[in-house]
Amino acid sequence: MIGVGVGVSELWLMLAALVILVLGSILSFKHSKLGFYTAIVALILGLLACRSTYYGSFIFAIGIINLVSLEAIKSEIKGVDYGLVGLMALATMYIFNTSDLSLVLASLVLVSVPTYVLVMIREGGANVELGVKYIVFMVFATVLFMIGAIILAAEIESMYIIGYVMLILGLALEVGVAPLHVWVPDVFASADPIPISIIGSMAKILPFIAAIKILISTSCPLTETITLFTAILAGISMFTGNIGALTAKEHGRVLGYSTVANMGYVLSCIVAIANPEFICVALTGGLLMLFSNAAGKIGFFNAIKGKGAYSPLMYILAFSFIGVPPLLGFWGKLFIILSLVEVGYIWLAVILVINSAISVPYYTRLARELGIGWKANIANFVCIAVVVITLVTIVPPNWFVEGVKILVQNMGLAIGV
Amino acid sequence: MNEWILFLILFLAPIISSVPIVLAYKSKEWVNRLPPLSVLGIFISVLVSIYIFFCAPTDLPACRFSYPWIPELGINFVFITDYLSIHMGVVTTLIAFFIAIYGLDYMKGDYRLPWYWFFFNLFTASMLLVVYSDNLFLLFVGWEGLGAASWGLIGHWYKDDDKELTYVGTVDRKVGPLNYFWPPSSGGWRAISTIRFGDVPMFIAIAAIWVFAGNLNISQIGWGTLFGTVGFAGTIIILLFFLIGLFTKSAQVPFSEWLMTAMTGPTTVSALLHSATMVAAGAYVFMRITWYIEPWTLNGVPGLETVYIIALFVGLISGLYGALVALGMLEKKVLLAATTMSSLGLMFGATAASYWIHAEVNGMNIAVLVGFWYLATHAFAKASLFLVSGHLIHATHTRFAVGDLEFGKKMKVAFATTIIATTFLVGIPPLTAYWIKSAMDHVMEHLATEYSILPLILLLATSIIYSAVLARFMSTNFIKGEKPHVAHVEGGGLMKAGYVMMVSMLFVIFYLIFTRSELKEFVHAGFEPLSIAVGIAALASFGIALYKPRMPSMQKFSTVLSDRMYFPYLNDYFCPKIGFFISRICDCVNRGLDGFCNIWVMPGLFKRISGSIRLIQTGQLNRYVQIILSLVMAFLIIATIVMGVMLV
Repeated sequence: MIGVGVGVSELWLMLAALVILVLGSILSFKHSKLGFYTAIVALILGLLACRSTYYGSFIFAIGIINLVSLEAIKSEIKGVDYGLVGLMALATMYIFNTSDLSLVLASLVLVSVPTYVLVMIREGGANVELGVKYIVFMVFATVLFMIGAIILAAEIESMYIIGYVMLILGLALEVGVAPLHVWVPDVFASADPIPISIIGSMAKILPFIAAIKILISTSCPLTETITLFTAILAGISMFTGNIGALTAKEHGRVLGYSTVANMGYVLSCIVAIANPEFICVALTGGLLMLFSNAAGKIGFFNAIKGKGAYSPLMYILAFSFIGVPPLLGFWGKLFIILSLVEVGYIWLAVILVINSAISVPYYTRLARELGIGWKANIANFVCIAVVVITLVTIVPPNWFVEGVKILVQNMGLAIGV
Repeated sequence: MNEWILFLILFLAPIISSVPIVLAYKSKEWVNRLPPLSVLGIFISVLVSIYIFFCAPTDLPACRFSYPWIPELGINFVFITDYLSIHMGVVTTLIAFFIAIYGLDYMKGDYRLPWYWFFFNLFTASMLLVVYSDNLFLLFVGWEGLGAASWGLIGHWYKDDDKELTYVGTVDRKVGPLNYFWPPSSGGWRAISTIRFGDVPMFIAIAAIWVFAGNLNISQIGWGTLFGTVGFAGTIIILLFFLIGLFTKSAQVPFSEWLMTAMTGPTTVSALLHSATMVAAGAYVFMRITWYIEPWTLNGVPGLETVYIIALFVGLISGLYGALVALGMLEKKVLLAATTMSSLGLMFGATAASYWIHAEVNGMNIAVLVGFWYLATHAFAKASLFLVSGHLIHATHTRFAVGDLEFGKKMKVAFATTIIATTFLVGIPPLTAYWIKSAMDHVMEHLATEYSILPLILLLATSIIYSAVLARFMSTNFIKGEKPHVAHVEGGGLMKAGYVMMVSMLFVIFYLIFTRSELKEFVHAGFEPLSIAVGIAALASFGIALYKPRMPSMQKFSTVLSDRMYFPYLNDYFCPKIGFFISRICDCVNRGLDGFCNIWVMPGLFKRISGSIRLIQTGQLNRYVQIILSLVMAFLIIATIVMGVMLV
């Protein structure tokens, strides 16, 4: 049994973080700032408990930026929203620590459920209609994912393909992979930009890691055949997202389609898990892609909220999305392409490159339309922070690959025990 | 002292010393004060090159100094101090130094001094890099530096505002559809475009040498093995591609036009360009690679003879063409430019003849030695004549040849310098170039038995015409020319010092010919009957042209020559036509691609697809649920079927 007995202190740290978070949320009804500070303390504890410093640091940074960006909105649940974001970040940090399937699924729920509340946040009320639309699909997605995971964990060979397809469909619906993406453009266009910047960043990371962990632990000879399904889905998602974004006018909608495309890129790295040799490269690509997506989405949505942000920052984020070296997005795509080539999915790698080219017009349009002169506001400071994250790969990310090698060793789940 | 410091000082002293004047470009006072600093930088290079001349080892491998640059690719800072480079280094720095001293006076009050001194010194440093580099890639860096600096200097008077002094050709003259005069901006452009045309194939050749030989150090490349590897066609392609770079730089036919219009630059630039740098670089690099290819030992290698025949005839035909064209020239500097091209042709011809010449002196091939010493003699003589021309242009305020004996008497120093430079250069016995030309005659005579008599005929014809041209230059400027309208004969002390020092170097070479053991053969050749006959013919030709510099009865023929046999049509008419034709084709392809990718087909297609993708976004939850449920069900049914099939 992998992982049992390991990391007792990590568990205590996590529990302490959760307790602080809950207390902070409760007390924030009195003083809303308390929720913010307790969330930061909880994130620090979570970072201490996280097994990979680099991975943990990225999540920590994204979490902190999400918390800060909440300052830009006056919600009716001010204070609790910090707690919700903190909860999501803690679960995302913890996912690599556990080898227990139930905890993995619980983490997924912990990331998913807070978004049900967050999506409805708006200044001077709640966006209930949108919330209903979102929750319907999320619940459906979580159910599909869980049933798929359980079927796979049961290790019944005759059910493997159905389990695999359900898990991938659940994941696709959860993160917004085409053709199950219908909710994404609407939600991204209609909701308040700040909560969407959280849903579009932090909430996308854990479902992928959970899926990869489950799929690696349950892989069998059939995996190699059924990955074609994932590859096709990834290809469809890339084309749908990028081409859809070309003519979309509202910025939020463009970013919605951009998410569909990016989730297609990340999904394609799941193709590589059929071959254990290349898991490390694929996971590196997937994680860097998720981080670059998170950084970009946070930056752009905050710019929408702030009615524009400093132009150079917008362009850096756009170039990262496009995949211009040495920005974060470039390395994400590069590692995904490398893993695809290694496992023989060259056609998918070619599709990824073509899609990067298709995406150029709308990202530059976005940067041009959202780029304005310098103003000292939250949007700009948040953008500076995410641009720093985007620029971190000026030092080629060999260091991150080393970190991922350690993570890969903790990928297995204690299934069947 | 470590050698690398020496090389660093040699190359960087001119560049660094010219930086302050560039930085001070806004202060007129400092701009006028700082030129001596730039000259000092060149003087430091003179000292270093003389130190290298006397103290550096000249035998391989001790004379090769290598410092890592990109060692993985075999590209390093490799310098060589062999016979050729130590001599050429001194020639280059001395000439640059003398011209720089002259330039202090000549360029005084110019409106763009920082530009001038920076590019002048960059020019010198680049040439030194070409001279001392053993690595072809490093050499190419210097080579490109020469190109950039020549553009900067030829187009120095970019405002094109002085038609009297800075243009080439008679202003407002037209020949057919073509304007037959060229402003400085056009001169700069013609130079850089022609040179770039040659640099690209040269770079490809260097790349090919690297691929096939695995080494770029000229002295280390196994040339014989390389030619064996690439075969007949490969040898011809690589060497010809390389030679195109040299031919364009040295203005050999058909790439000669840029050199004529390079006269739009300041005279100091013309002097430097025509003597020790730029045009000399082509001939020098040809000598350098021939020195190490040793073609006389590779007579059986297929393709090599073809290349050397081409180099031989391109050189000799350029020699004759240059001399003929110079015969009709009316502008002082353009006349000298044409003779430069002619001399360079002879250098190429002599060096190329080494393929058939097996005679060696102190282990050095006599043909290459002839080529090199002719280069050195020509450099000092021609630089002197250019500097005199500059002084004359200052004095007479015209670029055309004017000056009678009265004027000549007033310009005594310039006149005396011209007498020495011309007579020492044309091969009148027993003056400096006579002995070198004699050896050249001897080489070509040998070629008549080994290969063909044609090279000897071309050489003799060129020598005689060349002699007449320089006599005509002297006569029309100091003896039998028109009386100048303006004659500012006073002053110009530094200018005089510059060309006196320059021309005095011809006596040094004269001395060396009789004292250096490897040059004894030149002296022997001077006493051969053929050489004496050619010497007398050159003297006669000189005398006739001195007496009768213009022949009105030959006016039409003279116009054809002064119109450079209508070669400008190649540069200014046919090449642009071809260029426009290609650009039109590119434009059509561009428009097609633009229409397809940017305006019509692809945008329309993507718009339609994008619209279809977005069509499902109705905003209605029940419709979304229907879509999702049906898709999930469909996928699951397919998965079940697939599973069933696999189980069966």
